[in-house]
Amino acid sequence: MEFFSQLLVSGILTGSVYALMALGIVVIYKASSVFNFAHGSIVAFSAYLLWSFVVQLHMNLLLAVVCTLIGLAILAWLIQRLILYPLTGQPILAAIVATLALGEVLAGFVTLLWPGPARTYPKFFPSGTFHLGATVISLESVINFLICALAFIAFMLFFQKSKLGLVMRGTAEDHQLARSEGVKINRIFVLAWFVAIIMAAIGGFLMAQMHGVNQEPLIALGMKSLAVVILGGMESVLGAVLAGITIGMLEALGAGYLDPIVGGGVEEVFPFVILLVVLLIKPYGLFGYQRIERV
Amino acid sequence: MKRPCGTFDESYAQDLACVRTPFRWTMLVVLFALLFGGIPLVASDYFLGVMNLIGITVIAMLGLNILTGYCGQISIGHAAFIAVGAYTSAILSEHLGWPFWATLPSAMFVSGLMGLIVGLPSLRIKGFYIAISTLAFHYIIIWVILHGGDLTKGVWGLSCDFPKLFGMELDTEMEMYFLIMPIAVLGTAGAFNLTRTKFGRAFIAVRDNDIAAEFMGYNIFKLKALAFIISSLYAGAAGSLLAHYLGMITIEQFPLIDSIWYLGMLIVGGMGSITGAIFGAFAFRLLAQLVIYITPLIGQVIPAVSVSGVAGFTQMLFGTVIILFLVLEPRGLNHRWQIILSSFRIWPFPY
Repeated sequence: MEFFSQLLVSGILTGSVYALMALGIVVIYKASSVFNFAHGSIVAFSAYLLWSFVVQLHMNLLLAVVCTLIGLAILAWLIQRLILYPLTGQPILAAIVATLALGEVLAGFVTLLWPGPARTYPKFFPSGTFHLGATVISLESVINFLICALAFIAFMLFFQKSKLGLVMRGTAEDHQLARSEGVKINRIFVLAWFVAIIMAAIGGFLMAQMHGVNQEPLIALGMKSLAVVILGGMESVLGAVLAGITIGMLEALGAGYLDPIVGGGVEEVFPFVILLVVLLIKPYGLFGYQRIERV
Repeated sequence: MKRPCGTFDESYAQDLACVRTPFRWTMLVVLFALLFGGIPLVASDYFLGVMNLIGITVIAMLGLNILTGYCGQISIGHAAFIAVGAYTSAILSEHLGWPFWATLPSAMFVSGLMGLIVGLPSLRIKGFYIAISTLAFHYIIIWVILHGGDLTKGVWGLSCDFPKLFGMELDTEMEMYFLIMPIAVLGTAGAFNLTRTKFGRAFIAVRDNDIAAEFMGYNIFKLKALAFIISSLYAGAAGSLLAHYLGMITIEQFPLIDSIWYLGMLIVGGMGSITGAIFGAFAFRLLAQLVIYITPLIGQVIPAVSVSGVAGFTQMLFGTVIILFLVLEPRGLNHRWQIILSSFRIWPFPY
């Protein structure tokens, strides 16, 4: 039972990061119905960018974050303007392959600029552990969880209360209506990408803070958040959060109980097994819209 | 099909013929003479090696083209099917000592079975969701192979015998060339004829609108599963050839990025045409050769870029090429080729 609750807690804490990343994918999908396969590479790219500002250029954290945000805003604009805008109205394959190729371009860029072994951030958060009953929790992961929760609340406030958030929701609802109300939807798409990339960057930063800035695990993280999006439903913000926590928990439990049987590495593949099961049983996820098609 | 002026069909046999005009026959003969006479005569061993790799890629691409180009089911897991074929061959060859002629069909069979399993979700989902499910299958298949214990030897990989023909071991590039190219040609002919059959036309109907196809009386689930099976048969053959050609396979040779490059080749070559698949395979493999030549130059010009950094450059270049084709020429090289052909056909008149 102690083992179980330990796994459960660590799963929830990891799951919060998944939720944040999945939120990014959902935001892009809602705004422009493009599913972002490049999320993993964006996660890795932003983690490396921040590392570069902090360690290589010796900035303090605040300045580095501002510089990273500027860099990511440029990235968002480039993605929308150069790749996705020209592909408007193309079949779905075009958007899928475009984001896949974009992911490879970004991953190649990271390898080109920052080759070699993993990097580490300087310590930003206090380390330590405390006990909750019999469960041991590291302080870092709790801070991670709190940051994720804060980011989520900030996102919800922005999305629900601000005028720009209203415009974004309107654009997600109906492109043509939004345009007739004078919304420049291409700017909204850029904004959606920017918000999504920030979500990915926060998640990537938190994970890299714990496990080091390393390209492949960070990309794998982004890929796992695809499973989260499918489980939650592609259009649902709430679904992304719930599914993120669920997948984090299931992954931790699966890894904890199955690893001794099959010999390790279950957490690499478990989210994808869940993804397939969800696709077979409930293809549109927990809160996604059931699509009705006409010929 | 566009034909030069004055070419008429006078019988059904003529109407059905793949190669109609004497000129086309000449070109076909010239092509075969080049493929089986000219190139092996003049080419160096290195170039033959490149051609062998291209041949294997063409076989794999034909499969993906049937699945994605004709049937419209996007597969981000093609490298995994190839891995299944390659590992089936290698396991049978290393553990049981089967010869190539037995492992090739078995690899195709196992890979086809895997294709059926991967195609099963298409009963309920379609389009983008199929892409996601094949992506998930890619991760799962690779993981299973990696954790296969003694059977697949995990990260160490398996060795694989060279094929034997009449007691002669095919272990040089030249000999492998004469094994791979006939299979590639057969595969091309098979794929070309498949697209002219009832099933090929049904695939196109499913791709263009699967609900409409269902109303027309097609069993779309059966067709989609069939497309998955045929595609993975090709992938299995390519994987088996790859294993026997390299003599040694590891799981590193089948990363997710390869699945993405195969989709990219389809875009660059042109979807939904056999020539497009072949063009795509050639374009990517030749581009990779070009990169091998120019990367040392980059290292000389910018010394800060390390060797592993150059790998990143390759990745960026390929990704950029795919994006450029998507944006500028979504119908791929094949479209350009058709324009050249038709302007040649109607020359000297502009219509």
